[in-house]
Amino acid sequence: MPLEAYKSSRPLTLGVELELQLVSLSDFDLVDASPDMLHLLERKRFPGNVVPEITESMIEVSTDVHTGHAGLLSQLHSIRDSLVQAGDMLNVGVCGGGTHPFQRWTERKIFSKPRFKQVSGLYGYLAKQFTIFGQHIHIGCPSGDDALLLLHALNRYIPHFIALSASSPYVQGSDTLFNSARLNSVFAFPLSGRAPFLLRWEDFERDYFTRMEDTGIVKSMKDFYWDIRPKPEFGTIELRVCDTPLTVDRAAALAGYLQALCAHLMEGAEPAPAEDDYLVYNYNRFQACRFGLDGAMVHPQSHETMTIRDDVLATLRRIEPYAVSLGALPALEHIRQAANAGNDASFLRSERAGTGSPEGMVDAAIRRFRDCAPPSLAHNTL
Amino acid sequence: MPEFLTGIADLVWPFAIALAWVLGELVHRVAGLPRITIYALTGFLLSQTQAGLLPAPGDGAAMLFANIAFGLILFEFGYRINLRWLRANPWIGASGVVEAGATFAAVFAVAELAGMAPLPAMLLASLAMASSPAEILRVVNEQRSSGQVTERALHLSALNCVLAVFVFNIIVGLWTFQHSGSLLGAVSNSIVLLLVSGAMGVVFGFAVPGLLRRMGTLGGDATVAFAVAVILLCALAQSLRMSPVLAALTFGFVTRHRRVTLGQAQRNFGALGDMLTVLLFVFIGATVAWPRIAAGIGTAFAILGARLAAKLVGVTLFAHASGTSWRKGLLSALALSPMSVLVLAMLVRTHAMGIDLMDHLAPLAAATLFLAIAGPLLTQWALKLAGETSEKET
Repeated sequence: MPLEAYKSSRPLTLGVELELQLVSLSDFDLVDASPDMLHLLERKRFPGNVVPEITESMIEVSTDVHTGHAGLLSQLHSIRDSLVQAGDMLNVGVCGGGTHPFQRWTERKIFSKPRFKQVSGLYGYLAKQFTIFGQHIHIGCPSGDDALLLLHALNRYIPHFIALSASSPYVQGSDTLFNSARLNSVFAFPLSGRAPFLLRWEDFERDYFTRMEDTGIVKSMKDFYWDIRPKPEFGTIELRVCDTPLTVDRAAALAGYLQALCAHLMEGAEPAPAEDDYLVYNYNRFQACRFGLDGAMVHPQSHETMTIRDDVLATLRRIEPYAVSLGALPALEHIRQAANAGNDASFLRSERAGTGSPEGMVDAAIRRFRDCAPPSLAHNTL
Repeated sequence: MPEFLTGIADLVWPFAIALAWVLGELVHRVAGLPRITIYALTGFLLSQTQAGLLPAPGDGAAMLFANIAFGLILFEFGYRINLRWLRANPWIGASGVVEAGATFAAVFAVAELAGMAPLPAMLLASLAMASSPAEILRVVNEQRSSGQVTERALHLSALNCVLAVFVFNIIVGLWTFQHSGSLLGAVSNSIVLLLVSGAMGVVFGFAVPGLLRRMGTLGGDATVAFAVAVILLCALAQSLRMSPVLAALTFGFVTRHRRVTLGQAQRNFGALGDMLTVLLFVFIGATVAWPRIAAGIGTAFAILGARLAAKLVGVTLFAHASGTSWRKGLLSALALSPMSVLVLAMLVRTHAMGIDLMDHLAPLAAATLFLAIAGPLLTQWALKLAGETSEKET
């Protein structure tokens, strides 16, 4: 199958996909409830789109295409309310978080759908270990060339999104010491990582995609698990490094932050991306996964070291003018507070310490998804 | 009795358990039957009234172990019940009440038709309301089942057990009032039993997690900690002549609803739970005597038919309103088939009160035995048809 033609879309439009956890309200373990949830959600018009994911304890929702943060946030709120309501009917908790802290991957069931069964056959236990939950953000670009330029210009900001969204400190019952352990599961796949450094769509198609296709390894863009990948049929680039945050408010704020950042980059306000930028890429990404906002990142061009938190705060100041015209200021304010107060991974760790058990983390995650209350209030909702 | 014979008598239980376990594994692998079915059958065949091998149940160490095993299962069962769900989705409660009420009415009608006097018929009908939580939970765990049918079967079983205990106690009160003339004496006995046993569970539900937290061990595996607590609670309840089962159930329920989230306790209490389950179901099988079964077999089948029909109608009626498909509603009802071993637990108590229900309710023994075999099978079948079990992927 040749690469689809790049479908032009309005610049800086945005949309979000969220993979969410389905948790038993009886024991807080993941529960294979997606067939029951989908059955119930089909009865009413869903304020967005909802589809199954590879294992039956995951569900994926996506928004329509939006022009700004406010519209996106309001749709995400409706989506969340529908999910919470359906979950209440079925004794199922819905929550964010990049990993479930103590589920055992051997217990998972592959959703009955040919593609999932085929992926499971190919990847073996990797497929079941892929019971991880990410947020994908789409940003519209008018042409394939614009998409590739933006994709590579974003390379140095990838650690921001990892650190800000990180919500997967625990895996299989143990503290991994990572803020985002989820990405370690993604890196296990052979076609993960970064896109090749090609800045023209024509080159990408001819010199990379077609040649890869000829090797027989890939059939479509779906087979690449890159951190950011172009999505020609939507006319977007898709940022895939974020853990699903604990609240839809954080999810919308990350999208608003990315939108304003892209507006800034599309203006050509920063030096053009270069192949050598990627020398520090994996190191920075590791720092973000491991240490979150406290991670030390190296600027690809100046080689200056700074914490990810400081770089986020500096970036917020730089892109503020763009946020004003896009209506993304509330998103930036949310990000500023998150950068100062800490990400969801640190919230989950403090819940772990407070309640004394991994179940307590899941319980807290369910309540945060439902209420979006700040941590100090979430404690008192019972 | 010569000394070497008492030695042999001590060996009977271990041998019975070993035999039941071996048979359970073999038959489970070959025929796919639930293991507990085989355990109960083994116990039934070896029991005093049949082969005459096992000593009569009802006292001593075997009874204590059975209570502990039952207690462990019911603790876990209580822990899995989420009261908030019944509040968020009132249709679950509605179907529970209608299903249990319909079962009572249907079984009562059939028993009267079969010529039973009204009071025994009502007693029988109240016992038929309850679905066995122990058998349902064991099958759920054995099949690693999860989904709506699983959740509904567990919660509906909890509901109909509570209703059954309630109705049963009222009728026993009436019964003893008729025989002794003292209403107060009749009800006070069972009310005190319920209250004190429940209170013991509540106390443990508050004290044990609090203690564990203070010790700072909740982060680790809490299996042993909670197993030890359940064992202590059951032994205490038994020695005080209270209901260990009810105490353990309340313990689990309170622990869950105080949102004292446990460190991960293994399902079934791990190997300990599996081990004691063998003993429990052998014990249950051994309490049923063949002569009694033969006496009431015809009526038993009529009653079981009426019970199943009432449950199917009662639960399925509310399936759509409660957010699931008609098919899953029907399967949830089917999963409720096992009749409660609470029945037997309560019978042992009433026996102490001077009423022998097995004598008065001839069809009960046959129904209990039949469902000991068929009940778990029907539950397993329902979960499999609902696609909620974990298939072994090869």
